Amino acid sequence: MPFLQHLCQILYDSGLGTAIRESDYAYSLIESVHVIAITLVVGTIAVLDLRMLGFILRPIAITRVAHAVFPLTWSGFVIMFISGSLLFWAEAAKMYNNPAFRAKIVLLALVGLNPLIFHTTVYRRVHEWETARLAPWRARVAAIASLSLWGSIVIAGRAIAYF
Amino acid sequence: MKSKFALALAVCASTIAVPAAYAHHSFAAEFDGSKPTRLVGKITRVEWTNPHSYFYVDVVDSKGKVSNWGCEGAGPGALSRRGWKKGDLKIGDTIVVDGYRAKDGSNLVDARRVTLPDGRTVYGGSPGDGGPGDNGTDQGALSTSPAK
Repeated sequence: MPFLQHLCQILYDSGLGTAIRESDYAYSLIESVHVIAITLVVGTIAVLDLRMLGFILRPIAITRVAHAVFPLTWSGFVIMFISGSLLFWAEAAKMYNNPAFRAKIVLLALVGLNPLIFHTTVYRRVHEWETARLAPWRARVAAIASLSLWGSIVIAGRAIAYF
Repeated sequence: MKSKFALALAVCASTIAVPAAYAHHSFAAEFDGSKPTRLVGKITRVEWTNPHSYFYVDVVDSKGKVSNWGCEGAGPGALSRRGWKKGDLKIGDTIVVDGYRAKDGSNLVDARRVTLPDGRTVYGGSPGDGGPGDNGTDQGALSTSPAK
């Protein structure tokens, strides 16, 4: 058995994993928290992306929008990560073979790479373009990548139930 | 202009193609409402799990051939509210399952009505999954189950 699959089986068989998986209400409660946290993360990220693309909040500097959504995005991310980990924990052995879950993990890795590249390149000179109605093309590419990746992650996450 | 129309069409088509998603996945996403099946067999495995429960039965056909069937039911929360507890199914127990076959033709049914070893009959469907017997209540409607 591959190491990762073995690890998934250990999580699946653990007390916590079993307790969530066999619970009357905990699983659906964690699921709901996860979905609400996703709306917080993806919603606030979308606000910044749409601002860079020049669709919304055009009179407001991009850095101001970024600072406003930052705490919301990250607190949402923490809740999303913890609740998602618990859901995975409960179903790890089944998730290992789930194609939608695998796709979601790959997409999550990519969506994590996106802000890394963005913040080390074009965002370093944000003060040159923060008040522009439309961000430079590289920032717009990052915004489009972010919107499509997060959209795909939500679709892949929902699709887990169908495999 | 043409491409815009094509895009609009694609969006509409995808909206229709996506099955109604309730708590987890709907009945119609995996099961065929026109294929009612009754299974009588011995329990080989029980998964009392979210978001759907599964139990497996060995069914012997008229030629004596044994095949193992998976039965999908609602999650532990919904089943508990119908008085079905985790320990009610034991390995080796004989049960009767009225359900519907999976669309992919595999040995899997959606268990809509399960007759437990103690004689109780319990609705097995997920609340709100839109399948046969789903009447919007916790308990479901056993009478609409197939194979009378």
